[in-house]
Amino acid sequence: MHTPDSLATLLAACSQGDRSAFARLYEGTSAQLFGVAVRILRREDWAEEVLQDCYVSIWNHARSYRPGLSAPMTWMTSIVRNRCLDWLRRPSLETIDEDGKLIENAMSDTPDPLAELERRADASAIARCLQALEARQRQAIALAFYDGLSHSELASHMRQPLGTVKTWVRRGLIRLKACLEQGA
Amino acid sequence: MDYRRKPELQQRLAAEYVLGTLRGLARARFHRWLLQDAALARVVEEWSARLGPMAQAVPGRRPPARVWRAIEQRLGAMRTGRAGLWHSLAFWRALALGASGVTAALLAAVTVFAPPAPPPAPAPVVLRAPSNEVPASYLAVLSDPKTQKPMLIVSAGRSSDQLWVKVLDPSIHVPQKVLELWAVMPKGQPPKSLGMLGKEQKTMLPLHDVADHSLADVPMLAVSLEPMGGSPTGKPTGPVMYSGPCVQYW
Repeated sequence: MHTPDSLATLLAACSQGDRSAFARLYEGTSAQLFGVAVRILRREDWAEEVLQDCYVSIWNHARSYRPGLSAPMTWMTSIVRNRCLDWLRRPSLETIDEDGKLIENAMSDTPDPLAELERRADASAIARCLQALEARQRQAIALAFYDGLSHSELASHMRQPLGTVKTWVRRGLIRLKACLEQGA
Repeated sequence: MDYRRKPELQQRLAAEYVLGTLRGLARARFHRWLLQDAALARVVEEWSARLGPMAQAVPGRRPPARVWRAIEQRLGAMRTGRAGLWHSLAFWRALALGASGVTAALLAAVTVFAPPAPPPAPAPVVLRAPSNEVPASYLAVLSDPKTQKPMLIVSAGRSSDQLWVKVLDPSIHVPQKVLELWAVMPKGQPPKSLGMLGKEQKTMLPLHDVADHSLADVPMLAVSLEPMGGSPTGKPTGPVMYSGPCVQYW
């Protein structure tokens, strides 16, 4: 596992056109980012295509990474999650999971990331603050973040009215922010 | 809606953008604001820093080796620039062979329209407009290979994720069929669908990403004739009707 500092160094080298640094960056980060993409897209072939696009994008935009603003992994993760969400927004995909079965199946056999999160020292603040939320707020936020569920997918998965899950998400996010700022 | 004077709204939209629950047109619109509003972009950065660490808990999974090979290939294609066009031409030629007799004509048309080296930028007198207001652009003029008549204009602002298609000749539409627009990729990679044309004169198609990302290494656009609902395979199945080089205008 690379430390954030070494990833930042590799990104800086990429922005200078250093292809071997880029290979090391890929080596050190692609498994984590592929895991994130597969989890959201639920299809490996899509995740492969997204991952390709994202690394080309990371290479092309390495110089726009600002070390002071976010950790390298956070920056790269946002690129991947954004691309996944755009992928799910493609008009031709709207009816792909009409009955929600794909989501149910994908989620039933995957480990619970929240439990894992608590074991990670470097993510302890967010784990603690998620733990402090009401259970349903926490579940809604986790499903949206890890599984890419939209408000309406959350509503059908959690069997609640749309307005209710929207409120859980909104209030949960407000409380998360307050909790993280308190801890800082 | 003026979000700028409403910090709570900014926070909510930024948080839901990062979380992923901001979807569809609202997401696309928010993305456009982000490109123009540094303060809003900062709010999003802050939310990414808050929620981003959650991703570390997702179990890693090693991608197949072909992913890295494909990335390397794409970076190689970029370095050689538009020379990649000829690889795609070979691809399109093979594709069109079975479909109809357009091949030779298509090649001829492409030769005629061979991408002019981007015109030397006129000496900027005084460029007062901020860069995000420069109306430009990736641009492609797609023509009929037989008549060489321009049939469609396709354009996208560099930091926009919307592609505008203007049909110059309404007779291009065929009953019971649709026209699907494709990005012909360099190095013989399969073409990517950009969407189907509507029957109206102007169609807006959403891009996966801003044009500077999604069109930068696309040498050529093409339109194929497909069954209603679009290509069933994700690749062009009907004849290539129109095509033209895609260039970065500014």
